Amino acid sequence: MAETNIVELKGLRAGYGEVQVLWGIDLAVPTGEITALIGSNGAGKTTLMRALSGLIPVQSGSYLSGGVDLSTANAVTILSHGIVHVPEGRRLFGAMSIEDNLLMGAYSRRVSSTELKRDLNRVYTTFPKLFERRYQAAGTLSGGEQQMCAIGRGLMGAPKLLMIDELSLGLSPLLVEQLVAALRTLNAEGMSILLVEQDVITALDLCHSAFVMDMGRIVRSGSGQDLLADPIIGEAYLGVLKS
Amino acid sequence: MFAAQILINALVLGCLYACIAIGFSLVWGVLNVINLIHGSFIVLGAYLAWSLYQGFHVSPWYALVIAAPLFFVFGYVIQRIVLNRVITAPVLVTLTMTFGLDLILNNAMIYYFKADYRKLTLKPPMGSVSIFDVVVPVDRLVATIAALALTGILYLILRRLRVGRAIVAVRLDRDAAVLMGVDVNAIYAIAFGLGTALAGCAGVLMALIFPISPLTSTAYLGKAFVVCVLGGLGSVSGALAGGVLLALIEGVGSAMFGPAHATTLSFVLLIVFLILRPQGLLGRKGFE
Repeated sequence: MAETNIVELKGLRAGYGEVQVLWGIDLAVPTGEITALIGSNGAGKTTLMRALSGLIPVQSGSYLSGGVDLSTANAVTILSHGIVHVPEGRRLFGAMSIEDNLLMGAYSRRVSSTELKRDLNRVYTTFPKLFERRYQAAGTLSGGEQQMCAIGRGLMGAPKLLMIDELSLGLSPLLVEQLVAALRTLNAEGMSILLVEQDVITALDLCHSAFVMDMGRIVRSGSGQDLLADPIIGEAYLGVLKS
Repeated sequence: MFAAQILINALVLGCLYACIAIGFSLVWGVLNVINLIHGSFIVLGAYLAWSLYQGFHVSPWYALVIAAPLFFVFGYVIQRIVLNRVITAPVLVTLTMTFGLDLILNNAMIYYFKADYRKLTLKPPMGSVSIFDVVVPVDRLVATIAALALTGILYLILRRLRVGRAIVAVRLDRDAAVLMGVDVNAIYAIAFGLGTALAGCAGVLMALIFPISPLTSTAYLGKAFVVCVLGGLGSVSGALAGGVLLALIEGVGSAMFGPAHATTLSFVLLIVFLILRPQGLLGRKGFE
């Protein structure tokens, strides 16, 4: 039987050296769903992502995926559990070609070249723009194409859970729509997605359930529709005035 | 014809300079370590070729094949055991560390081989070829071709192999490479091993042309430094461009002002480049 939650956190604490950022996060990311993480700047969303992908150590608390404790695991081990992080600001290898960037996404999977080719083709089918420019340096792409390349690179890691930090940052509404459509398709094919997003309306509209973070804690959770209708969320993040 | 001779000399010497510099450039670019042992690695490679030829009549061309894996392992182990401990420290710390290691290696060579200058003389000599009035010694020509081949091999490793892509990725964005599941410490060790192997092979080639002594290590290190600054860090084409440019400057400089001033001229150029074009001929600004 499949696990109901792909990732479960209990009382997770993490930070940078002496600076504590996350003060006990309880969070469950349901398998096969799109989960959104929203909150203002400095709430700790990116730090949570970095802790989940092993870029920074978990100080205390539990981090389970598929019954395995990942709280002391390094980035390579976490990746081997199918948890893939598409970082904020894309972080592409700018001087490398798109195709080499995508191949780097599959670095930790020791698979045959035919399988690699098939996965490359899958990414190119999802994002045909990338195929047209596959030999072009990733640094020369537009913002939207870079985000496609970053997500494509994440997909090459064969994720069970794809964590995307700031999907829409600096992109035009039209591009965001395209990316959102691509994410819906991937989710429909069975991929779980955890999305950190500044654009609260887009995020709540896309997700099945959402968590609201503030000051390093989860302060609210619910379905996307419930949170959209929540007056406190409306006031804090959507600029809706109290009536 | 005189001009043509200078040009050919510069091309031949330039490829050898590139070969000297390329391992240094790789280590500097990927690890952000200014590797002061590089010159001594080259000298050690020269001694290896000399010892193999004198002791066992192994031709320097075979010595290349022996030197590459030997030096790779040597470099890999040094990085794993010593340098990886300080790799995240500020550049001055790693610089001091490589300085210390260089003192150990260089003095060990002085102790073991003595400071006498030695020369690897091929018997029978390979002679020289002349096209019109341009004369090129054959051993130099073959060494140049070998240097180009080594440079080409590094290029192919970085471009075509999985491990090469990881080396480039770590150079471009360390954290993003970690997210891809790259074991950064292993990649550092491999990059340092490659740099050391290239230094060792360059040393084998130098043994054919220049006298061998532990005291020449600083000259090699200086050349590597200038080539990197002229050509730009971390790219194979940059090292080639820098190498040929340096050899050209030295060649033209010696012809115009006398050989005594060639080195002066190259270091003046180094300073000019550092002021006007710090990223070098082919280096890209702002990418580590």
